[in-house]
Amino acid sequence: MLASVFPTLVFYLLAAISLSLAWSVVTGRRILRAAVSLMGVLAASAGLYLLLDSPFLAGVQVLVYVGGIVVLLVFAVMLTRTTELLEDHPTRGRQLIGAVVALTFFGLSYCMMTAPAFADRALSALPKNDVAAIGRALLDTGENGYALPFEVVSLLLLAAMIGGIVIARKPAALSKPEVHNG
Amino acid sequence: MAEFLTTHGLTLQHWLVLTSALFSIGLYGMLTRRNAVGVLMSLELCLNAAAVNFVLFNRYLAPTNLGGAERLDGAVMTIFVIAVAAAEVVVGMAIFVAMYAERRTVDVTRLDALKD
Repeated sequence: MLASVFPTLVFYLLAAISLSLAWSVVTGRRILRAAVSLMGVLAASAGLYLLLDSPFLAGVQVLVYVGGIVVLLVFAVMLTRTTELLEDHPTRGRQLIGAVVALTFFGLSYCMMTAPAFADRALSALPKNDVAAIGRALLDTGENGYALPFEVVSLLLLAAMIGGIVIARKPAALSKPEVHNG
Repeated sequence: MAEFLTTHGLTLQHWLVLTSALFSIGLYGMLTRRNAVGVLMSLELCLNAAAVNFVLFNRYLAPTNLGGAERLDGAVMTIFVIAVAAAEVVVGMAIFVAMYAERRTVDVTRLDALKD
């Protein structure tokens, strides 16, 4: 009996953690604290991947999201630190718009969730070695393979890296020769 | 409580409620946050919820007659989502740093140069 209760218990625990932390990400007035809360949400999502029997994705989540993206966001917060540390509360109008849009989205998707296609589906079995299966799928050039998207993503990452360097570079480095001439 | 948990086992709908609630919270944050980095964080919440959904549908809805037990398309899509999220954060951070050097603020309500 314990084996059947345990995943449900962990699910509710992770759901409570991620929902409360997500709420503090979007409403907290200290932006750095929001970044730490975001790290908690993403780590809880890694737990959800484990619960879905995808340990490889949980590892990727921790490595890329928690280890990379959140660190980049913290850098962005620190490099753009304005004089006021506390962010102002949003105006009533913006809060209203945000609440209406978010609740409408949730309501619409809840209506779709109750569709019979989603009711009482059992978990499908996974291949024994999911890392090997993911690797084969990513490099498969056949009909169901993802070799082309995989290469496109690597190009996208390269473009993002170069673009990031070019955009964030000091504008002075570009205009230096002109200053010299003048 | 143990009785409640055994009779109310996890179904696809439990998961979907959780992920769409996370997505809605992110949506709310995108529309109310004033700091541009905060908007980006809310966007990450949305992306993360969508990525979990991909794995979810892979696990619960993969058609077994097409070899659903052997297919991991949802997991592969999640990896792509994570990669795109990383690329997007890099570009976003670069834009915010450049914007801060130019305007000394990243408050989205005051960045209205395109308005006039």
